[in-house]
Formats: sequence, C-alpha cells, structure tokens
Amino acid sequence: MFVSFWNKLSINQKLAITAWLFLAVPIVFYVCIRFYPTFEAFYVSTLKWNLLGAKKYIGLRNYEKIFADEDFWLVLLNTFKYAGLGVPISLFIAFCVAYFLNEITRWHDFIRALYFIPFLTTAVAMAWVWKWFYQPLPIGYFNFFLNYLGIAQQPFLKSVTQGLYAIMAPAVWAGLGFQVVIFIAGIRAIPRSYYEAAEIDGAGRWQILREITLPSLKPTVIFLTVVSTIGFLRIFDQVYSMTTNGDGGPLNTTKPIVLMIYEFAFDEFKIGRASALTVILFVILLVISMFQLWLMRKKP
Amino acid sequence: MAEVLLENINKNFGKIKAVDDFCLQIMDKEFIVFVGPSGCGKSTTLRMIAGLEEISSGNISIDQRIVNNTHPKNRDIAMVFQNYALYPHLSVRENISFGIRAQKLPKNEITSRTLEAAKILGLDELLDRRPGELSGGQKQRVAMGRAIVRKPKVFLFDEPLSNLDAKLRHKMRVEMKKLHQQVQTTTIYVTHDQVEAMTLADRIVIMKDGKIEQVGSPDEVYHKPNSQFVASFIGSPAMNFISGTLEFLNNRNSLICDGGEMIDLVDWPDLVGSKLTMGIRPEHMELKTEKSSKVINTVLDAKVSVLEPMGHEVIVTCDSNVGEVIGKYTGNTKLKVGQTIHFEFKKENIHFFDENSGKRVS
Repeated sequence: MFVSFWNKLSINQKLAITAWLFLAVPIVFYVCIRFYPTFEAFYVSTLKWNLLGAKKYIGLRNYEKIFADEDFWLVLLNTFKYAGLGVPISLFIAFCVAYFLNEITRWHDFIRALYFIPFLTTAVAMAWVWKWFYQPLPIGYFNFFLNYLGIAQQPFLKSVTQGLYAIMAPAVWAGLGFQVVIFIAGIRAIPRSYYEAAEIDGAGRWQILREITLPSLKPTVIFLTVVSTIGFLRIFDQVYSMTTNGDGGPLNTTKPIVLMIYEFAFDEFKIGRASALTVILFVILLVISMFQLWLMRKKP
Repeated sequence: MAEVLLENINKNFGKIKAVDDFCLQIMDKEFIVFVGPSGCGKSTTLRMIAGLEEISSGNISIDQRIVNNTHPKNRDIAMVFQNYALYPHLSVRENISFGIRAQKLPKNEITSRTLEAAKILGLDELLDRRPGELSGGQKQRVAMGRAIVRKPKVFLFDEPLSNLDAKLRHKMRVEMKKLHQQVQTTTIYVTHDQVEAMTLADRIVIMKDGKIEQVGSPDEVYHKPNSQFVASFIGSPAMNFISGTLEFLNNRNSLICDGGEMIDLVDWPDLVGSKLTMGIRPEHMELKTEKSSKVINTVLDAKVSVLEPMGHEVIVTCDSNVGEVIGKYTGNTKLKVGQTIHFEFKKENIHFFDENSGKRVS
C-alpha cells in the first residue's frame, strides 16, 4: 500500500516529504524546549504567582507595575548602554584586529587562537579574574599601573559612573575572538584581484579600505551587529559575577534587564512579573533586530 | 606609449622555477600575446611586469626605465583581470574612474576622461548601473574602460576573455583589436587559447615550463614552428606526427616508421639515418578518394574511422599503418566510415623535428 502510494508521487513531492521527515525531529525538539516555554511566558506574565502557590489571573497588572517602577527605566537605560556602546566598540576593535592580523602570515594562527580563547572560556571565570584586576591597591593590576604612572586610584566596580564600563570591558573582550574570526573570514572572501587592481590603479590604503574592503564586508558587519546586539542586550553573567552579591550595584547602576528578571523570579518569587519583563525584553530584541536588518538591507 | 624590455627574468617559487631566463623586447605599440598551457609561467611573467609578483633575478624596463623595485602604481601600466575585478558596490562610472580618482586628478578631468572611455567602449548608457546588472560582455568592457581611462604606457591583459561564451569571445576579440588600433598602446596579453593568440597578436610568445619556445608573428609560428611543441600547440585540430628513421632505400628516401612501416618520401632533404618526427597539419593532408597514377607527392593510405562534419568542411579521423591521422576535407564526394582513402602531402607542408630534442631540423 505504502509503496504504491509512494510511487505515485512526483519527484518534488518525494523530496518534500523526505525533507520534512528529517526536519520533524528538530521541529518537535524546538517546539517543546523553546517555543512552548516562550509562549508559556506570555501566559504567565498575566498571572500573580510565587512558583508554589495558586495562580491568579491579573491581566496586565504586571506590566503596569513594571512601567511604574523607577528601577525598570534605569535598568532599561543600562541595558541600552551595554548594547549601544558595546556593539560599536567591539566591532571597531574586532575589525582593526582582523584587518591587521590578516596582513601578517607569521604567527597568524597563533595570534588568532589567542584572540579566540576568551570566547571559549566561561564568562564567570573570566569575570572573576577581571574583578580581581579592578581591585584597589595593593591587589588590583589596573590600579597598580595607574599608580605606577602617577595617576590616582580609581574605584572601577565600586563607582556609580565607572561600574557599567568596567563590566562592559570584559564583555567586549570575551566576544572579540568570535568577531575577529568572522571578520577575517569576511576579509579573506574578498577576491585578491580587487586589491591587485586597486594597487595597479594606485589607490591608497584609505581609498582601498573605504571603497573596497568596508563595502565588501557589509554582510559580515550586518551579521555581527545583529548577533552582538542581541548578546549585549542579554548581558547577565558578567554583571552577576562582578558586582557585590550579584545585585547589579552600586545602586543598580550596572543592572541589566536579564538580572532584573532573575531577581524578580528567584529572589522575590514574582514569577508573573519576571515573565512580563521577559516578554518586554523579547519585544525589544525583536524590534531592534528587525530594524537593523531593514536599515542595512536598503542599499545593495 | 612605451617599449618593454625583459632581460633574463627568473622567478622561483621555492624550488620550482616558474619562469626561466626569459628575454624579450616588446616594441612600442606592439600587441604581444603570451600563450601556453597552464603552468607555463605566462601569467607569472605578466604579473612580474605588473609588479604584483617580485622577480627573482633579471631586469624589467618600461620605457627605458628599470622598474624591478618600482611599486605597481608607479609603473604606469593598467591591467585587466580574468574575473574583471569590478567592485560590485560601485557604479560603472565609479569603477571606470577608480584609477584616476586615486591619482587625484581635477574633477572635471575625471568626468571628461570617464565619459571619453565610456564612449569608446559604448558604455555611455550604462554609467549609473552596478556591475551586477551587466552582462558578461559589458563587464568585460567596463574592465577595459578602467584600463584605458588611465592612458597608461602599457596594457596588461590576463586571460580577459576566458569567462565569456564562444560567440561573445569572438565579438570581444574584434573589439579588442579595434581598440588597440585606436589607442595604439603597447599591449601584453596572456591567454591559453591559441585562436586568441593567432588572431590578436602582432607577435606571439609561446611558452612551456617557464621557457620561451618561440617568438614570432602568427604566420611564422604557424608555418615555421621552431619545435614539435609549438607545432602541436598552434593550429586546430593539432598537427599529425609520425616518428621514424630516414633511410635511403630503392633509390629514394623513405621514412621507416617505429612500427616498421615505410612511407616513401618524394623529393626529400638529405637527413639519412636521423631519427625524426614528421609533422603535417590536417589542413595540408590532401584527401584523395582515388590514388593518383603519377606519384609526385608523398602518399599515405588510410581508412576513415570518424567523420566530424563542420558544415564548410569535414574533419576526418583515420587509421593508417602509422597510427591515427587527422585530415580536413572540403570535397563534394560523401565519405563513409571504413572507406579507404589516400592522403597526399606536398614537400613544403611537411615539418621535420628531431625526435630527441623536438627541435625543427628542416
């Protein structure tokens, strides 16, 4: 029966059925592990629930409370600072590293590996090492160097103005390896003859960079911008590990959205409110990613 | 306009000798073509003239100035690449003007020269398009535009037509020739296609294993190939070769072939006793269906094995007692596979090469 049914199908139908059979496994997995909890979060965000007790439907009260919370707006601003500064800074550094690394052949692989190691290392372990770097004298390296240069000690993580940047630095550093590798791949994909033609035509370094290298890297830049924007908007590990008691302090000045979600859920057991904040983050990520893709697709 | 002088150029990649003692004087306004199989060093030589590749030893002069250590941009050359090397995000106008913008010429001169180049190549309508919107032939023309706009001393072409289909290739060949007649710039052109070499060149340089095999006009390399390699490389279908020893038997010279067969040679030079390879081009194999009664030419009997009708002629592949031979036939009689035929060839159309060295001996 099955054989006669199968034989009646056209080649395209057979291909489609085979493809869907293979896709079925990841689809089932994703629906159960990813999509179901995501949609469950939409539902939970309308509940008052402490994880153990009874669930009570309260409509949009969770959202109202979040928007009325002063801390939320500070946290939102912090999150945008991480992304708004972290993405351009990390892309700029990664491009510079990739650009010059591509020009050397000696030690190239070794240096590239050095840049990639932080990406492989656990964020928490790195964060603790950096936390130690930031300590006051006589422990912290950074203050040791400042002192050596005759500059006053800095509070770094203890400061309401420096804390966020002190945490952003290891986050930029950790993602650098990945971005460098992608940039190098992008640079290497540019045909050599583009550069040779430019060299013969007498183009300077700047003209080559501006008219050949950068425009050719546009797809790479789009990809990295979207991926690292999402990464920075979801920053958590570094903040949790580097601030005292993992509270995003001092005075919430380093706290990102994800840390606030964590506190709602697992410190205060306000699961409904945590879910509501998750939904807000989801919407922000969606809007920003779509906007970036649209912005960068305009011109070929 | 300039003369290019290459003196004892060598190029080694590690232990591999890519170019071996290359000497050549290229005249002002000359169109010279480097041709040879892949890996013969023709592109490497071109890239050394461009300055994209360093020379291991020797001297390169352009317009009487030694440029061995001169940066490509200061050699006053323009190069067209096989893949055109057009920048996809720049318009045709920006692509063409790339070089003169790099030279920081005044704005109005950039505009006028770009327009002039576009006009010569028939690109005036396409100036605002991007390379992605152009056909293969148009891209090729933009690449040439980028070269001529600079008014360089020398044009370098690296297999510029090999990405085009056969019909377009012919068209662009004609355009290239016209362009050269118009701008009269010294041109060095690399190709692996012997038809391109024959049709375009004032002089052809045939290369093999990094060495020059022969330099000469298309006529010379076709009618008087210096070596068996040149003879086999130029011409399509390739020249027929028959190896053997020249002997004096029964009052006439005969070629005793390696298989023991004998071809009577009518009126032959005195090279008795030498091991030789005889070469005859398919177009010089006069095909007769009946054997002539009076033997005045050398004759080879053969049996038709494959017929390839081309319309105006038929390429006839035959089995003979000295191996497979190929001839061209333009007669009216219909040939059949299996039919016995007779090839006659005239003395002046036969080439003799030394069997060991491959060099021409007569």
